[in-house]
Amino acid sequence: MSTHLSTEQLLHAYEVMRTIRAFEERLHVEFATGEIPGFVHLYAGEEASAAGVMAHLRDSDCIASNHRGHGHCIAKGVDVYGMMAEIYGKKTGVCGGKGGSMHIADLEKGMLGANGIVGAGAPLVAGAALAAKIKGTDDVAVVFFGDGGSNEGAVFEAMNLASIMNLPCIFVAENNGYAEATASNWSVACDHIADRAAGFGMPGVTIDGYDFFAVHEAAGAAIERARSGQGPSLIEVKLTRYYGHFEGDAQTYRAPDEVKNLRETRDCLMQFRQRSTRAGLLSAEQLDQIDARVEDLIEDSVRRAKSDPKPDPAALLSDVYVSYP
Amino acid sequence: MRQPALTVGIIANPASGRDLRRLTANAGLYSSTDKASAVQRLLAAFAATGIEQVLLPPDMTGIAAAVLRASLGPHAEQQRWPQLTILDMPLRQTVEDTRHAARLMAAQGVALIAVLGGDGTHKAVAAEVGDIPLLTLSTGTNNAFPELREATSAGLAGGLFASGRVPAPIGLRHNKRLVVRVPEQQLCEWALVDVAVSPQRFIGARAISRGEDLAEVFTTFAEPHAIGLSALCGLWCPVSRTAPEGAWIRLHPQAEQALLAPLAPGLLQGCGVTASGLLIPGVAYSLSLSSGTLALDGEREIEFSERDQPSICLDAFGPLSIDVEAVLAYAAHHRLLAVGREHPQHPANQPC
Repeated sequence: MSTHLSTEQLLHAYEVMRTIRAFEERLHVEFATGEIPGFVHLYAGEEASAAGVMAHLRDSDCIASNHRGHGHCIAKGVDVYGMMAEIYGKKTGVCGGKGGSMHIADLEKGMLGANGIVGAGAPLVAGAALAAKIKGTDDVAVVFFGDGGSNEGAVFEAMNLASIMNLPCIFVAENNGYAEATASNWSVACDHIADRAAGFGMPGVTIDGYDFFAVHEAAGAAIERARSGQGPSLIEVKLTRYYGHFEGDAQTYRAPDEVKNLRETRDCLMQFRQRSTRAGLLSAEQLDQIDARVEDLIEDSVRRAKSDPKPDPAALLSDVYVSYP
Repeated sequence: MRQPALTVGIIANPASGRDLRRLTANAGLYSSTDKASAVQRLLAAFAATGIEQVLLPPDMTGIAAAVLRASLGPHAEQQRWPQLTILDMPLRQTVEDTRHAARLMAAQGVALIAVLGGDGTHKAVAAEVGDIPLLTLSTGTNNAFPELREATSAGLAGGLFASGRVPAPIGLRHNKRLVVRVPEQQLCEWALVDVAVSPQRFIGARAISRGEDLAEVFTTFAEPHAIGLSALCGLWCPVSRTAPEGAWIRLHPQAEQALLAPLAPGLLQGCGVTASGLLIPGVAYSLSLSSGTLALDGEREIEFSERDQPSICLDAFGPLSIDVEAVLAYAAHHRLLAVGREHPQHPANQPC
């Protein structure tokens, strides 16, 4: 497996992470105005995970996400304006404004959907991986779930199925330390989520989720393994979320300076910028240009989403089931 | 006046044995449950050899908690485990936890520190504890510095030495080290076994699993039966633990000569060899690459670029460690584990 990253790949990775961060930080502000319906669960702080995994995927590879899905959608290539409009509940959203934050999906991009049911994405990707195997493609399927999701029976069943059927499936446990307000070191019985892989006969690794390069390398090895017919694997990505479980969560269960310290010392965007410029592979000017472009994109997406029309009441019952010819 | 309790420390790295090599090779898993069991076996051996107090760091994966629970059970009572003290320290879940625990143990005057981890864990402890000897136990992936050994026999050797029943010239091993300096980054780090120079630009997932990711390897010692990066020298230009010199090897995929070496468990890689030689103590070696990463004891830790001038120097000032075989041979010769009629574990004193 080649771990070499071209300049173009490095710039793309930074742009993906920066877009996720700007998207989420803007939603943090906009949600407080009361204009956005439902709940939003922000991915800020976890960007290196989505960007590092998705850098190895193509549109024909499927992913399934969870309630904290904006980052996975952006990294998989879902249209940013369409996502913003979806979250605002507008007709121009990627799901016609009827799904909202927790149901963003774009099948053409291989994004099977965010999901409000914890752990429910795992059986979906097992199915997608089985389809790829039966069709004889070398596509893979990836599910993202959290430390809370790692305790769900649906995840265990999917891991077992993926293992006995030798499916091209990658299970990515994004361990941000908290299932809502419950600390994972209390609620996860085994010492590392990655260790659970052994019980299902697949390899498991634990990776630093603040480091894009670490995630990229580990995901590359797992995805190459799956594409070449060697079966499923589990990657535990250890990271943090900068905001609450949902917007409005006061986070009284976290130490006062926990997030501040992590932002100042471990932030994935900060590390990426420092290390890629110090290595002489990218310049600060190149990265500044991306920052400016992303700010414009987010500003434009919010402006358009706010002014777009809501779905017609008559469309309420459409898109509920797939129509077969 | 009561003498201070005979105290030793135990550091079990909860993160060891979990890296990328489970995906790229067929490396095994050493779970925290296994580590907690190994600590308990050490405690049994320490109890049998007169250790009175054991210091243990806290952790987020349940090792200390499991040992603490066991210390309240019937086995601990029967075996008269030493008093167990959990260190009061914050946890960052990084290598700094290992370093902090080692510093606290050194400050409390422990007679030795038992380390459960890989080469990297031993290196982190060694850099903090001066001449406090290490009792080394392998729970990592590619281990050359700590030997594979059962905790019970290692614990017996450690306990016999710490309690003063084995002379230092017999029980202690002096180890070499590699000092890595990158002045431009104000870095001065140690390695106990090897420093590898890789063209990979980023630390990434840390482990090195491919021959083309290696440009040079410097080793303090290199044994032919080693696994990991030191095996390259071990199978080409071996050097013993006790020789004053180290070894180096330079690699290139297009080289005429090539060597098949186990870079990780189950992972044999053909590596092109362009040159090799002995490392002379006290000489600062520069690198053949102008940019890349440095892997210390198997894990990429330092990124360097054209603006840096890293150097590597071998010296004899590595940590002291317990020579388990030598201690137990001495113990056998002097019947140090013989028990008298009055001893509670003499078979005549056991309940029928």
